[in-house]
Amino acid sequence: MNNNFNISEVLDYLPKHIKTMVIRLSKESLQKIEEIRLRLAKPLCATGCCSEIFIGADGEAEPSGVNAYIINEDDLRYSMQLVCNFSMYSVEEELKNGFVTVNGGHRVGICGRAVIENGKVKTLKDISYMNFRVAKQIIGASDKVIGYIIRSPDSIYNTLIISPPQCGKTTLLRDVIRKLSSGGEEKLFRGMKVSLIDERSEVAACSLGIPRNEVGMRTDVLDGCPKAEGIIMMIRSMSPEIIATDEIGRLEDANAITDAVNAGVKVITTIHGSSIEDFLNKQSLNRIHKEIFERYVVLSRKNGAGTLETVLDGKFNILFERI
Amino acid sequence: MLLKGIGGLLVISASGILGILHSNKLSLRYKELVNLRRVMQMLETEVTYGATPLPVALYSVSKKTEGPVSRFLANVSEHLSKRSFYTLKEAWNDSAERLLMESSLIKADIEFIKSFGNILGCSDREDQKKHFQLFYIQLRHQEDSAMEEVKRSAEMYRSLGFLLGMAVFVVLA
Repeated sequence: MNNNFNISEVLDYLPKHIKTMVIRLSKESLQKIEEIRLRLAKPLCATGCCSEIFIGADGEAEPSGVNAYIINEDDLRYSMQLVCNFSMYSVEEELKNGFVTVNGGHRVGICGRAVIENGKVKTLKDISYMNFRVAKQIIGASDKVIGYIIRSPDSIYNTLIISPPQCGKTTLLRDVIRKLSSGGEEKLFRGMKVSLIDERSEVAACSLGIPRNEVGMRTDVLDGCPKAEGIIMMIRSMSPEIIATDEIGRLEDANAITDAVNAGVKVITTIHGSSIEDFLNKQSLNRIHKEIFERYVVLSRKNGAGTLETVLDGKFNILFERI
Repeated sequence: MLLKGIGGLLVISASGILGILHSNKLSLRYKELVNLRRVMQMLETEVTYGATPLPVALYSVSKKTEGPVSRFLANVSEHLSKRSFYTLKEAWNDSAERLLMESSLIKADIEFIKSFGNILGCSDREDQKKHFQLFYIQLRHQEDSAMEEVKRSAEMYRSLGFLLGMAVFVVLA
C-alpha cells in the first residue's frame, strides 16, 4: 500500500502553510510518518518508525527542534475547523472520546480543556494539542497468516493474535477480516459472515456509520459498542459465522468470547503480549478461556511493524517460526 | 415646443421610474428578509436534527430555495468545499459582502447576517439551536423595520419621483 497517498489525505486537514512544510520533507521521511503532532507554542513534529523529526518553516528536518516551526493558536484553530468540516456540532459525540475519524480512516486525536457536565465529558474547548495519526490500512498484511487460519472452504480456526502495542495487530486483524469476509482464492475459501465489534472504532474506522477501511463484503460492523455486550448482541441479531473483535483483556470479554464459541461461532481476536507465555500467564483469564483457541499468531516489530514471529496450533505445536 | 414637450416627458418619466425603482427596492428588502428566515429555518433543521456538516447542509438548503440568500449559501458552501478559507467566519463574511452587492438588503442587514457567522458551526447542537432562536428574534426586528420603511416611504418615493420630475420641468421650462 502506498503510504504517500495516505499521508496526502491527512495533510488535507492541515493549514496550507503547514502542509507545504511537511510535503517538503524527503520521500523516505514522508513514507515513514505515523503521526503529525501540533502542540500549541511547541515545534511542529512528525513521528514514525521509532524516530522523531521536528520540521522547520522551510520544510527541513530539524533533529534538535531549535529552529523548527512553532505552532500558534491560528494553526490549531484552522486545523480544527478543517477536521470537523467547519461544524463542531457534527462531531459532538466523537469529541467526547477525544478523537475524530476523518476520510480515509485516519484518526485525529484532540486534546485541550474538558468541559464537564453531570460528571461526564461534555465537550472539549481550548484545543491546544492535535495528533494526526496516519491510518495504516495495509491490504495484504495477512497474506502470510491467512493460510494458517483457514481450516476448510467453509470453516476457520478460532484465532488469537498476540502482539505488543504498535506492532500491527489491528492492521493484521483488519486484513484477516477482509479476506475471510470476502472469500477468495485461498483454499477455495467461500467467504463467511463476519460480525465485527469495533469498540474503539479502530478496525473499521467508521465515521457516520460508514467503514472507512476495507473490511470485506460480508462484514457487519457494530461501532463503538463495549465488546462483551456487543458480542452477545451480534450473535442474536446478525447470525454471524465469525465474531471478530480487537483487544480482549477483561474477564467479561473473555466470557463473551467463550459464549460465542459455545454457540458455534468462530472467533478471531487480539490480545496484548509479546509471547505465548505472556498470554498463558494472564491472571484475568482462566483455563477455559485459554483452551478455546486453535491458532495463535505472535507478532513483533523485529523486522518492522507486523513481523510474524510464530504461529502455534491449539496444543502449542509450532507451525511457523521466524528464522 | 414639441422638443420641449418630449424633453419634459423624458425628465418626468425618468425621475418617476427612479422613484418607483427605489420604492420597489424597499419592498424587495422585506421580501428577502422573509426569505432569509425561511432559508435559515431549513438550515437549522439540517444542523440541529441532521447534524449535517455545513458544506453539505448549506449546499442542500441552497438547492431547495432560490433568490440572493440562496445564492449566498451556495457561495459559502463552495468556499468551504474548495477550502478557499480556513474558517467558516471568513467564508461567511466574504459571501455576505457579495450578498450586499447582489441583493436589496441594506448594510445593517448584512452586518447582522455576518455576526451569525461567528457562531455557526462553533458549538454543539443544543447551543446552535439557541443561537438560531436568537437569530430569528433579531431577524424579526429587521423585518419590522423593513416593513415600516415600506409603509412609510414606498408610497412617498413613488410620488416624489414624479413630483421632482415635474418640478425640474417647470424650472427648466
